[in-house]
Amino acid sequence: MSAPIVGRKAGCLTCTGTLLGRRHFIRTGALSLLGMSLSQYLRAESLLSEAGVDVKGKASAKSCILVWLEGGPSHIDMWDPKPHSSFRAISTNVPGIQVSNLLPRISKQMDKLSIIRSMRTEENNHGQGTYYAFTGHRPTAAMKFPSLGSIITKERGPRNHVPPYVVVPGFEGGPREEYLKSAFLGAQYDPMSLMSNPNEEDFRVEDLSLPKTLTPERLEDRRSLMALLDRSYRQRMEIAERFKMDHFAEQALSMVTSPEVRNAFDLTQESEKTREAYGRTGFGQSLLLARRLVESGSRFVTAAGHDLNGWDAHAENDYKHKEKLVPGLDHALPVLLDDLKERGLLESTIVIAMGEFGRTPRFNSKGGRDHWPHCWSLVLGGGGIRGGSVVGASDERGAHVAERRVTMGDLFATIYKAFGIDWTKEYMSPIGRPIKIANSIDDTTGQPVTELV
Amino acid sequence: MIIRVLTSLLVLLQTGLLWAGPAPIPSHEPQLLSLRLSPEDILLVGADSSQKLVVLGIYSDGFERDVTAGSWIHVENSIVASLSEKLSLTAKADGKTRVTAEFGSQSSQAAVRVEGIQRTSAFSFSRDIGTILTKRGCNASECHGGVKGRGGFKLSLAVLHPKEDYRWIVEGGGYQVLSVEAAEPIKPRVSTSSPEESLLLLKPTASLPHGGGMRFEADSSDYETIREWVRSGAPYEEVSGARIERVEVFPESMTLEPKGGRQLLVTAHLAGGGREDITDQVRYSPSNPEVVRVTPEGRVEAVSAGQTAILIRAPGHVASTRVGVVADLVPDYPQVPEKNLIDQYVFSRLKEQHLVPSPGSSDEEFLRRICLDLTGTLPPPSRVREFLASRDLNKREKLIDTLLETPEYVDYWTYRFSDLFRVAYGSTGTPAHAYAYWAWIRDSITENKPYDQMARERLSAQGHDGPSRHFLPNGEAPRPEEIMPEELRVFLGQRLDCAQCHNHPFERWSQKQFWGLAAFFGRISRTEWVSEGPIVVFDDPSGRVPDYGETEDTVKVLHPRTGEEVAPTFPDGTPLSPERSFDPRRAFAEWTVAQPDFSKTIVNRMWGYVMGRGIVDPVDDFRATNPPTHPGLLDALVEDFVNHGYDLKHLLRRITRSRTYQLAARPNPSNRNDLVNYSHHYPRALDGEVLLDALSHATGVPEEFKNSWMGTAPRGTRAIELQVPDLHASRFLTIYGRPTRAIIPERKTEASLKQALHILVGSTYQEKISSPGSSLDVLLKGKGSHAEIVEELYLRSLCRYPTSSEEGDLEHLIASRPSRREAFEDVLWALVTSREFAWN
Repeated sequence: MSAPIVGRKAGCLTCTGTLLGRRHFIRTGALSLLGMSLSQYLRAESLLSEAGVDVKGKASAKSCILVWLEGGPSHIDMWDPKPHSSFRAISTNVPGIQVSNLLPRISKQMDKLSIIRSMRTEENNHGQGTYYAFTGHRPTAAMKFPSLGSIITKERGPRNHVPPYVVVPGFEGGPREEYLKSAFLGAQYDPMSLMSNPNEEDFRVEDLSLPKTLTPERLEDRRSLMALLDRSYRQRMEIAERFKMDHFAEQALSMVTSPEVRNAFDLTQESEKTREAYGRTGFGQSLLLARRLVESGSRFVTAAGHDLNGWDAHAENDYKHKEKLVPGLDHALPVLLDDLKERGLLESTIVIAMGEFGRTPRFNSKGGRDHWPHCWSLVLGGGGIRGGSVVGASDERGAHVAERRVTMGDLFATIYKAFGIDWTKEYMSPIGRPIKIANSIDDTTGQPVTELV
Repeated sequence: MIIRVLTSLLVLLQTGLLWAGPAPIPSHEPQLLSLRLSPEDILLVGADSSQKLVVLGIYSDGFERDVTAGSWIHVENSIVASLSEKLSLTAKADGKTRVTAEFGSQSSQAAVRVEGIQRTSAFSFSRDIGTILTKRGCNASECHGGVKGRGGFKLSLAVLHPKEDYRWIVEGGGYQVLSVEAAEPIKPRVSTSSPEESLLLLKPTASLPHGGGMRFEADSSDYETIREWVRSGAPYEEVSGARIERVEVFPESMTLEPKGGRQLLVTAHLAGGGREDITDQVRYSPSNPEVVRVTPEGRVEAVSAGQTAILIRAPGHVASTRVGVVADLVPDYPQVPEKNLIDQYVFSRLKEQHLVPSPGSSDEEFLRRICLDLTGTLPPPSRVREFLASRDLNKREKLIDTLLETPEYVDYWTYRFSDLFRVAYGSTGTPAHAYAYWAWIRDSITENKPYDQMARERLSAQGHDGPSRHFLPNGEAPRPEEIMPEELRVFLGQRLDCAQCHNHPFERWSQKQFWGLAAFFGRISRTEWVSEGPIVVFDDPSGRVPDYGETEDTVKVLHPRTGEEVAPTFPDGTPLSPERSFDPRRAFAEWTVAQPDFSKTIVNRMWGYVMGRGIVDPVDDFRATNPPTHPGLLDALVEDFVNHGYDLKHLLRRITRSRTYQLAARPNPSNRNDLVNYSHHYPRALDGEVLLDALSHATGVPEEFKNSWMGTAPRGTRAIELQVPDLHASRFLTIYGRPTRAIIPERKTEASLKQALHILVGSTYQEKISSPGSSLDVLLKGKGSHAEIVEELYLRSLCRYPTSSEEGDLEHLIASRPSRREAFEDVLWALVTSREFAWN
């Protein structure tokens, strides 16, 4: 049977998506069924990652910035204003669209963003909800699922030797870090977590620059010494892994000694004015760094683990949203959009702002709102995704979807379509279970929101 | 004269003489020692029964070659049975006779019995239609046997569920994975009024567009069988005597030379007690088609050197046979010394495969390996010197015994089992819970508790003690369908997670069996969170109240498709007896420990830990389609393990004392491509924790493990000693793939860019190498010569002396550098970042 290089639809076990990595003869065995040798396959794969498969229509997205609002923002107090919210609705620069009065600056950039008001997911806890938002699957002890960022990195490949998948600044320990990973796709599709606040004076990316005691010459001395010592071991052992490690060692050396990659992370190269415009907070500087990274060539940057993270307002919901949370978002997000536009990057960069769910339409006893996955909102734009529109509607209380339900799988499919990636694709996990890259409710495949892309 | 010749010919014909084609000539002319005609004892029952014959020549070079094509085979009395062109013996009349094969100077005979010539076999849906569906690949997992079926048409794998297959064929309708209901349109796939119009005939003959293409021709016997069945009303009939109880494959394993080939014989042992040759009726699939090809008639042909298994599917069964294709024949296979039963199995297989094992490891190689494998800790230089200098012939055995009694042994295996049992803050809800769980594991390892007892303690754990913490993932009582598959995977090596939602796509597990087992865990409940006192885990007789439920009602375990309540049921259908249902997990624990797979799984796991690869790989994925590479060895080890009271130390001692374990890692030309036969030691990357400890040891600078809750761990704590690892953030360990233990870790320390960057410029290496008070610092301040310092560094890191060429190169290098300190720092860096250091 004929099979494309990288499988499209769910097909026979041997011709879909990624190869099984465990036993080398099974890997080459699968290839021979495709009628290809390993070297042909590797060449084909690298061509594919450079060219990009154009699926339907024009796919203009080349990168994506995910602004992660950890804890779940209250949708009726922000994107989907309701009469019983404590905040009024205001008009935006797009006739017919209103947002809450907590978002005055964003309201002036509404032409760049669209609101989905009918998101429906099923996870009610932070852990499961976050995992679901990052991968489209509920966590299970049986297996790990690759994250959206890993999939996009794999499908599109790196550019300009810049790390393609970055988390700014990154989750400090804890399980969330794991959720952004590549599962079985391979370590090269894991994100690079910076673990350092970009707003700090001493912000530096770990392991990307030579320490003061180590000059490039000394580094070279060390490497040749290592080659000397390793030589006899290499002669004795033939280990496949070492070829991979050699490749990474070369890559590491070029990243550390060449300025381009380090410059991408160097915020001191931005003017004070720009840094002030984004806001001198961890969140603001994270968005600035995200812009810088996609400008240099990164594919998927997640702004997460920053200081705008207490959206989980189980108490004092109104106070927290009004004083602590929304202003930071309202300040920095429009600056990011404007900045991208000015640099000609908005057409090729998707921007999404979301949390893991929304919040309950009614208050609890502490003036807070609890988790609410049944109907919530998010915003997205750029990268060829239409801005200035509203998709779906909630009921009068913002409790349930009234029109046009959108699932996480649909969201993923929308993003893939903007990138020109076939959203119906399935990867084969190492235990032989097909995994949809756009996994929707009830084990179906997500559909792109055609109103947007 | 002519008449006499003709008469002789007639006589010859009557005696069933047959001679077909020239013999295969072996290239190096080994001697033919004997001949073997298979099967040796042939029984043909019924008019349409037949038996394929295979003639094997046993040669002086140890090879068995298929010489059927060149043999002269004749039947004594062809009235009873006759030989067809395809070398198949067909029944003719009741009676007894003999068949003889002759090749070269050798001959071999087999007895033939024919019975019941009047009988024709009665129609049986699962055998007659099922055979076609299996042989033609209709019910293969890539096609209609897949989880969703194809085009709405679903068949069970290898006719595991014939009644369901019948339903989908005769009633029609579209299969829905998560529902028992059929989707519209409900149209039969057979047409009894006009059989030739049946979808079941139009599709496989490609008369209608068919994704699977043409599976058989319209003039084939398969077509006729199906058509006749439909014409007679497409009945569902089963003949209980015709059901296949067991499939026997001859041979169970074979070795082929390059360009060699051999015929398989597949025999079905029937429920009624009979036997049938089904060689032509089964579906053959090599696991690795790059090694061998198999024809539909069961002839195996070598393609290129390697090892693989051939899966054989018959209605209701999956069997397998192992094949190795030799790269080069080894004419004078050397004598290889053996130490114990492990070596017997491993070396005889290597000899069969013409793979010469590598020599035994040097003392240095052995020392480093055994210390890491048994204790995860490098020996101090004094011990290295001592061991290497010792002339004691039994020093290796003594070292093994010593290491098994060290505290480091307890640390390391506590860490290994903490991985498997998932000790973590996230997995148990609180740090105190995780600590209690860890402490139970540590106590068990310290007292060398028999493994079956450990398993029972964990599975049936209630209360607030150590193992009961396992049943509090994230601080909540677990869902039965999530906890049961973990227990089965950990203790029985079965991965039946897929069967939660549908019958397993590759294996026998049905959804019904899954939920019957899950029900054993259907009552696990916990007490509330209180500020003092631990949470108590218990099996609530009235049932489970789910956490984050909408009400306080107990939930029953319900089959997701039928909606019916499921009671705890063992896989063979036996329900849990009412007297035991107050403590279902205790019954489950006893059942688990009594399963043959229980000991197989732990033996395979421990073997995999020290040998680098399980006899079944992955170590907890036992299934018919993933056969063990050395089944005899596994069984022997299991018997030994059980006879010694499930003693883990005894098992480790047994394995590490073998010559197989102690082989050198360096391959030779003969075994360079061998990855599964243990012809040499298989090196693998150290776990991140072990690597970090080794680094601390080699540099003499311990790692500081800060704890986000309780401050820093005491100075000198090693990574493998960390009790609740996820409380201690560590960049190094994250880079080296430390798992969160949220799922069962499958550690594979893959190379990554982050590791490469960290090695080059990372803080861990920089600090440990340049730190004041490090071992290097002490050495440099001392009186040692350059050579002595180099030697000490080698002993600390690689557990060996430098070779003379290494000494020479380094001496030269150090002398040429302006700064002595910097030069030695670089040497140390090179040593601890080398492959030899980071691999075992």
